[in-house]
Amino acid sequence: MPSACSLIPPVNPTVIVRDLTKVFYDDSRGELRAVDGINFDCRPGEIFGLLGANGAGKTTTLRVLATILKPTAGRATVMGHDLATAPEAVRRSLGFSSATTALYPRLTARETLDFFARINGCPAERVGARVEELIDRFGIGAYADVRVDRLSQGMKQKVAIARTVAHDPPVLIFDEPTVGLDVLNALDMQKLIAAFRDEGKTILFSTHIMSEAQKLCDRIAIIHQGRIHACDTLASLRAATGLYYLEDIFVHYVEQSRSQAGESPASTSCA
Amino acid sequence: MRLNWSTLATLYRTELRMVLRDRRLLLTSVVLPILVMPLMFLGSNWSLKKREAKLQSLACRYAVQGPEAEWVRDLMSRTRERLAAEPKGTNTAPFEFEEVACTNALAALEQGEIHVILEGGKTPAGAAGPAGEPAGPAAASRKPELRPRSNSAPAPLPRSLRLVFMGNHDESVTCAHRLQEALEATRRAERVALLLERGLPAPPDKIAAFSLVDVATPGQVAGVNLGRVLTLLLVLFMLTGGAVVALDSLAGEKERGTLETLLTTGATRLEIVVAKHLLIITVALGITLAQVANLLVYVGLKLVPVPGSLAAAVTPATGALLLVLLLPVAALASGILLLASGRARTYKEAQFYFFPLFLLGLVPAVAPLLPGLPLRSAVAIVPVANIAMGVREVLIGSFDWPMLALAWVTTAAAAAWTTRGVLGYLSAERLITSSERDEIEFLGGLPLFRRRVWAWFAVLWAVLLVVSSYLEKADLRLQLLVNLVGVFFLGSLLMLRTYRLDPRQALALRQPRPAVWLGVLFAVPGGMLAAIGAFHLLNFVIPVPPQVLEGFQQNVLPQDIPFVQLLFFLSVLPAFFEEIAFRGLLLHGLVGRFRPVTVAVLVGVVFGLFHLALFRFAPTACLGVMLAAVTLLTGSIYPAMLWHFLSNLGGVLAARFDIPLAHLDAGGYLAGAGILCAAFWILWRNRTPYPGLNAWRDTRPRASQACDE
Repeated sequence: MPSACSLIPPVNPTVIVRDLTKVFYDDSRGELRAVDGINFDCRPGEIFGLLGANGAGKTTTLRVLATILKPTAGRATVMGHDLATAPEAVRRSLGFSSATTALYPRLTARETLDFFARINGCPAERVGARVEELIDRFGIGAYADVRVDRLSQGMKQKVAIARTVAHDPPVLIFDEPTVGLDVLNALDMQKLIAAFRDEGKTILFSTHIMSEAQKLCDRIAIIHQGRIHACDTLASLRAATGLYYLEDIFVHYVEQSRSQAGESPASTSCA
Repeated sequence: MRLNWSTLATLYRTELRMVLRDRRLLLTSVVLPILVMPLMFLGSNWSLKKREAKLQSLACRYAVQGPEAEWVRDLMSRTRERLAAEPKGTNTAPFEFEEVACTNALAALEQGEIHVILEGGKTPAGAAGPAGEPAGPAAASRKPELRPRSNSAPAPLPRSLRLVFMGNHDESVTCAHRLQEALEATRRAERVALLLERGLPAPPDKIAAFSLVDVATPGQVAGVNLGRVLTLLLVLFMLTGGAVVALDSLAGEKERGTLETLLTTGATRLEIVVAKHLLIITVALGITLAQVANLLVYVGLKLVPVPGSLAAAVTPATGALLLVLLLPVAALASGILLLASGRARTYKEAQFYFFPLFLLGLVPAVAPLLPGLPLRSAVAIVPVANIAMGVREVLIGSFDWPMLALAWVTTAAAAAWTTRGVLGYLSAERLITSSERDEIEFLGGLPLFRRRVWAWFAVLWAVLLVVSSYLEKADLRLQLLVNLVGVFFLGSLLMLRTYRLDPRQALALRQPRPAVWLGVLFAVPGGMLAAIGAFHLLNFVIPVPPQVLEGFQQNVLPQDIPFVQLLFFLSVLPAFFEEIAFRGLLLHGLVGRFRPVTVAVLVGVVFGLFHLALFRFAPTACLGVMLAAVTLLTGSIYPAMLWHFLSNLGGVLAARFDIPLAHLDAGGYLAGAGILCAAFWILWRNRTPYPGLNAWRDTRPRASQACDE
C-alpha cells in the first residue's frame, strides 16, 4: 500500500497497521466497533498523532498496539514483530504510557526505574547506569529516593515518562500524556516527547487537545467512531480542507463523517 | 510457555518490597495479632481462673419445698454426713451448702438469693425420676432398708426429688450439678452398704468389672488430634493472611492502573501470575510462622497449655512429609484468592468475593473432623479435603502412599487449574475495559458451551456427590432415578436450553452404518473383559479389600428388588441417561477443543470420576473411553447406548448367575482385548466421524499462536 504522506522520508516503518478492527460486546450496548478497519504506518523519528474526541477509538487503538487488547480482525506489527504471534517481542520493543501515571505508590522513583528496566529485558549489568542516566536526564535526582505516593503530579508524570523509556525502546506510545497536568508541566512533557522524536524514536501519541497535536505531530490521523477520516501532515490537511485551524479541520472531517454515516464510508488509509 | 527466572525474581522481589512497605498489611496481619494474642490468652486465663476460684468457694444456698420436704432434708443431712466422713483429698471439690428458708422459693431463685430449689414429691407410676427413692415408712428412717414387696399390696408411689435451677446463672448451674452429684453419690454409697449388709460378696463395681485399655501411643493420640485441625488451620491462616495481599495484588492494581502498565512490559502473563502466587504464599506462610512463633512463646511462658506428646507426633521426617503434602493446599488457597482478585474490578468488589470463598475454602478442610471418613474413598479426589485426610493419616502413622499421591496430584491439579484461571483473567479484556463480555460470551451458543463445559460437569459432580451421600441408605431404585434423571438428564436439558444447542447435533442423534452394530456386538464382551482386566491391573497399585467389593455387590444387586426391575434400572436407564450426558453433551463440548484421542480419554476419565468410588474408577473410565471412541468413530450416540446397555446387562447377569468374569486368568483378558481390537477394526472400517472433529494429529502451522500467549 503506497504511503499517503510524501513528506516522510522513505525509511522502513516501525509500526504497520492494516485493517485493524476491535469489536467490544456488551449486554447494554450490544456490538460496539471501537476500531473499525484502520490502516497507518509510523516511521522512526516521527510523532504520529491520533486526534479524536472521547470514545473515538484512540485509546483502544493504542491498547491493541501495546498487546493489552486482542484485535478482532486485521493485523499490526511493531519493529517487525506481529502482535498476534510475538506479543512479548512487541512489548519489549515499545514503551507504553497510559493516561494516568500508573506508578507503584510504595516504590521510590529510583526503584521504579530499576524495576521497569529489568523487567523489560535491560541487561542486569547495565541497569544501574541506565537508571542514573534517566535520573539525570529527567531531573528527578532531588526526589529519586522518595516514595512515589509522596510526589506531586508533575513529579509523578516525569517518573512515569522515565519509566516508559527505561529500557530505551524504539517505539513509544503515549495515551493523552498531558491530561491533568498544569500548563508548565504540560509544556515540559511536550518538550520531552519532541526530544524523543529527535533521537529517532517512533512516537504514537493520542490527544483530544488540538493545540498539542498541532504543535507536536508530524502527521495527524483524525479518528472518529473507530475510523480514520483523514491522515496527513498539518500542512496537507490545511491544503485539503482550505481551513487553517486544526480545530476547524477536525470539525470539518467529523461533520463530513456524520453526513456520510448512512453511506458507510471506508476508512482513509494512512499508510 | 517458559519462565524467565530473572524476570520472575524481579517481579517477586519488587512485589515483596511493596508488601513490606504496606503499613496497613503489617499492622493488621502481623503486629495486631502479635499484640492481641497474648492479651487474649492472658485475659481468658485470668478470667477462667477467677471464675473457677469463685465457683470453687461458692457456698450453695438452697430452699426445700414440696410434700416430701422432710425426706429431702433427711437426704441432705445424710449427704452432709457422708461428705464430712470422706477422707481428705477424696472429695475433689470442697463443697458447702446451706438451706435458706423462703416463702417464695422461685422468686428467690430468680433474684439470686438462692441457687437451687430442692422439690420433694411423689412420682406417678412408671415415671420415676432419676433421684427417685424406694418408698415406704422405713424409707423415712435414717438407714434405708430393702423390703420384700408383697404381691397383693399395691406398689406405693416412689418419692422423687427435682432440682430446680436457673440455667442462665453460672452459680445456679454449678450448684445444681454439684448437688446432683453429691446426692447421687450418697444414694450409691447407701445402696452398696445395703447390698453388702445383705450378703453381696463384693461391692457391685468389683463384680464383672470392665476397664478400657488404649494401645495407641501418646504420639498417635496427639497426632490424631493435631491431624484433625492442622489443614484447617493452614487454610485459615493462608486465606486470612494472604487475602490482603491477594486482593491488593490484582484488584488493587487494576484500580490504580498499574496492572495495565505491567501488562505492557516484557513480563509474560505466566511470570506475573507465578510471581504473585509466590508472593501470596510467602506472605501467608510468613504470617502463619509469625503467629506460630508467637504462640510458642506463650507456650514457653505456660500461658497456653499443650499436650507434651505433641512432639512425638511430629518427627522431622513427618514434618517434611507434611510440608510436601500441604504445599499444593497453600498454592490452591493462593490461587483461589488470586481468582477472586482477578475477577473483581475493584478492591471493594474483591472483598465481596472473599467471604464466600473463605467459607468454601474451610468446608473441605474440616473433612478430618467427620467420623468414619477414610482417605480411601471418594474424598481422595476432593481437593483440600483429601490432603486434610492425608495429613491426619500421616500424623496417626498410617502411610497409604498411593492415596497420598492421588490426593497430592488432585490438589496440585486444582491449584494449577486456578493458576490457569488467573492467567485467563489477566488475558481477559474486561480487566481494563468497560466491556463485560467477549465475543463468545456475547453470542453464546456452542462456542460458549465449549468454554463452560468443564464448569457444568464440575457442578454436576458436586451435586451428585451431595445427593449420593444423602441417599446412601435409600432404595437403589430411588438412588438411580435421582442420579440419572434428576442429575444427569435434568443437567443435560439445562445445558441444551441454556446454550440453545440443537439436540440432534449435541446428542449425535444420527444413524450409523449397519455394520457398526456388528462391531458393537463384538465389542461388548471384549470391552467388559478389558475393563475388568484394567481393574485387576489397578488393583496391583491400589488394592481393593474384598469386603468392599462384596458390599458393593450387595448394594447394587439387592435381593428385595425383582430381577426384571434390576435389569431396567441398571441396564436400560444408565444406557440412556448417562450416554446423553457423557457421550452426548460432554463429548460435544470437548470436540473441536481437543484432538480425538484426548477427547475420548477425557470423557472416559470424567465418566469414571462420576462413579464416586475409587475401585470403580478404572473399569468405568475404561468403558467410558471405549464408548467415547465409538461415538467419535460413528458420529452417533446410538452404538454407545447399545454397548452401554449390553455391557451393564452382562454385568448384572454375570453377578446374578455367578459367572466368574472377574476370576479369569490373564489369557482370558488378553482374548477379550483381542476381540475388542477386532471390533474396533470393524468400527474403523465403517466410520462416519463425528462432525467437527479435529485432525488426529496437529498439522496446523506453529505461527498461529494467540495474542495473549
